[in-house]
Amino acid sequence: MRMTEAVQKRTNWALWLGLLFTLLGVLGNWLTFRRLSSDLFTWFIVACAALGLILSLFGAVRAFRFPEVYGGKVWGSLGTVLSLVVLAGSIMIFVLARSVPRSAGAPQVGQRLPEFTLPDSTGKPVSLSQLLAGAPGGPPPKGVLVVFYRGYW
Amino acid sequence: MPVAISVDPPDVSEKLRQKRGYTFTFLSDPKAEVIRRYDLLHPRGGPEEHDISRPAEFLVDPSGTVRWENFTEDIRVRARAEQLLAAVKALQ
Repeated sequence: MRMTEAVQKRTNWALWLGLLFTLLGVLGNWLTFRRLSSDLFTWFIVACAALGLILSLFGAVRAFRFPEVYGGKVWGSLGTVLSLVVLAGSIMIFVLARSVPRSAGAPQVGQRLPEFTLPDSTGKPVSLSQLLAGAPGGPPPKGVLVVFYRGYW
Repeated sequence: MPVAISVDPPDVSEKLRQKRGYTFTFLSDPKAEVIRRYDLLHPRGGPEEHDISRPAEFLVDPSGTVRWENFTEDIRVRARAEQLLAAVKALQ
């Protein structure tokens, strides 16, 4: 009769960490659309999602190789699939957010902005010269910041 | 003194302006004519495949000359406030 030693069950920490990083990736992606973003951060969240996948995969493999020691065959498999989906989604978002046209022909530093006249939000036409001259009767502004944005929707 | 330009019609810009409590001027370029002239067009970049502007900022002095500009490569990233403030200070 074989005597089997009582094997100590260990927490499959890799699975938990993997889930944590995957969730950080999801949260991070959400934050980038809430105006809390720097260039570095957008790379960071893809890295988080990638790390989440690596850890989940590691944890799942452990659960299958050493089932007496590590639990988590089901959760490990599910977690790995989730991490994969989150990483794929993060990469897609990253690529889409960067599919911006090159704008090589845009005005450069040192060039003058071409004149324009466009309606303001009350419908009144406003020209670039008017903006540069400032409010009538007052001193002209030291500069004007012209901000082109994607629009509100 | 900022001025914000997009393809949104005046009533949409006015709604945004009031909602955020902005006091500066919002201009409408619904046919993207100025946007095209400045080579800032993002074809089909908006909802329902509308042509919109890519994000870009130009700081111009009283003569209309560009002294600082910013073209972000990721639509989620905004120009950092310090960069902008430094450029504005340099105008004084």
